[in-house]
Amino acid sequence: MISSDVIRGYNDTIILSLLLEGDSYGYEISKNIRQITDEQYIMKETTLYSAFNRLEKNGYIESYYGEETQGKRRTYFKITPSGITYYKEKCEEWDITQKVVNKFIKELNEYGNN
Amino acid sequence: METIKSYLENMFRNLPQTEEISRMKSELLSNMEDKYHELKSEGKAEHEAVGIVISEFGNIDELLEEMNIEIADHKETYPEVSSEEAREFIKLKRQTSFLIGIGVTLILTGVSLLVFLSQLIENQYIFQNVPLEARGSLPVIFLFLLIAPAVGLFVYSGIRLERYKYIEEGRFTLAASLRSFLSDELKDVSPRQHTGTIIGVILCVLSPLAIFVGSLFGENASVYGVSILLLMVAAAVFIFITTGTMPETYKRLLKIEEFNPERKKQNKLIGAVAGIIWPLAVCIFLFSGFVFGLWHIAWVVFPITGILFGGFCAFYSIINSN
Repeated sequence: MISSDVIRGYNDTIILSLLLEGDSYGYEISKNIRQITDEQYIMKETTLYSAFNRLEKNGYIESYYGEETQGKRRTYFKITPSGITYYKEKCEEWDITQKVVNKFIKELNEYGNN
Repeated sequence: METIKSYLENMFRNLPQTEEISRMKSELLSNMEDKYHELKSEGKAEHEAVGIVISEFGNIDELLEEMNIEIADHKETYPEVSSEEAREFIKLKRQTSFLIGIGVTLILTGVSLLVFLSQLIENQYIFQNVPLEARGSLPVIFLFLLIAPAVGLFVYSGIRLERYKYIEEGRFTLAASLRSFLSDELKDVSPRQHTGTIIGVILCVLSPLAIFVGSLFGENASVYGVSILLLMVAAAVFIFITTGTMPETYKRLLKIEEFNPERKKQNKLIGAVAGIIWPLAVCIFLFSGFVFGLWHIAWVVFPITGILFGGFCAFYSIINSN
């Protein structure tokens, strides 16, 4: 499992990417993250809701009450246009970050192989 | 599932009770419920499912930091009420509510007796041989004869409850498990209060009928009607006190409704006003009785005070809720 420190800056990106597929609610999102990553990353409840809180405050997502199912009224989240813009920025940022970090990872691999 | 609920309850116990936080809490609970049910449907055992859900909860501080909430530490310093203490407190409250109910009923019966005897004297049925000046004061002696044991009962109840002053004043905390027990029991004791309230209100509403019925038999008889009215009110008050105390005690322990720390602040002012206005009413009552001999009518000071005070309370809470 991944350490939450490493991935912290990209929790928002992960959630936004799932919301791009369609509106969703808390548990569905955390379940999807778990499945997509083959259980290598499990987002904690508090991490998930901190992210929702932050994203909503910044206007990147909106929440609304869904239809009642089995006596339960879930809060659904929807990505906003500015959320999409933010997601693109984060993707570009990750692209660069990845390239930068990779340069050093490769060098380290060569060093280790010797 | 109960374990998960009380875990979450514990996490949120010391947080301010704002709408934002209670929303967050129910969101988290709903999420954890979903996860729990899915794990169970995958064939996980109860303790396993609960364990996974709790281990994946995370750190509440992370959430609070995001929401800009500071935890009020000072609340922590209050002692926790044990289950035995809570039970003992509830038992004692039940006993003392009965004593206080009797005390209040004694006083109201005394006033009723006062009105009744005063009218008998005026009609020259009794105390014919007592000098005229002393005659008017005689019924008052009966009133005080009933007030004395009532005061005794109040003081005794007060002494018995002295030990639980910290609960009465809200200087305590409650474990989540005990809280959920007490919440369940509150639901059981509430119906009795509702029945009591209905009966009591019916008695109060019907009580003026006694005066109307009395007035059919002449002016004197309507004063006897007043005496019966007061007895009916006395019975109603007894029912209010004895049936209302149990739910009140639970609410006090749970710190909900009128015992919510926020609400208690406004109740303080109402309490202060009550502490002035009611003794004042008693003074007016005794003064107009002793000085002007108005015993037959002086009692109206109590219903008038009651209505004014009730109006003030309602007005004050409306102003405050805005």
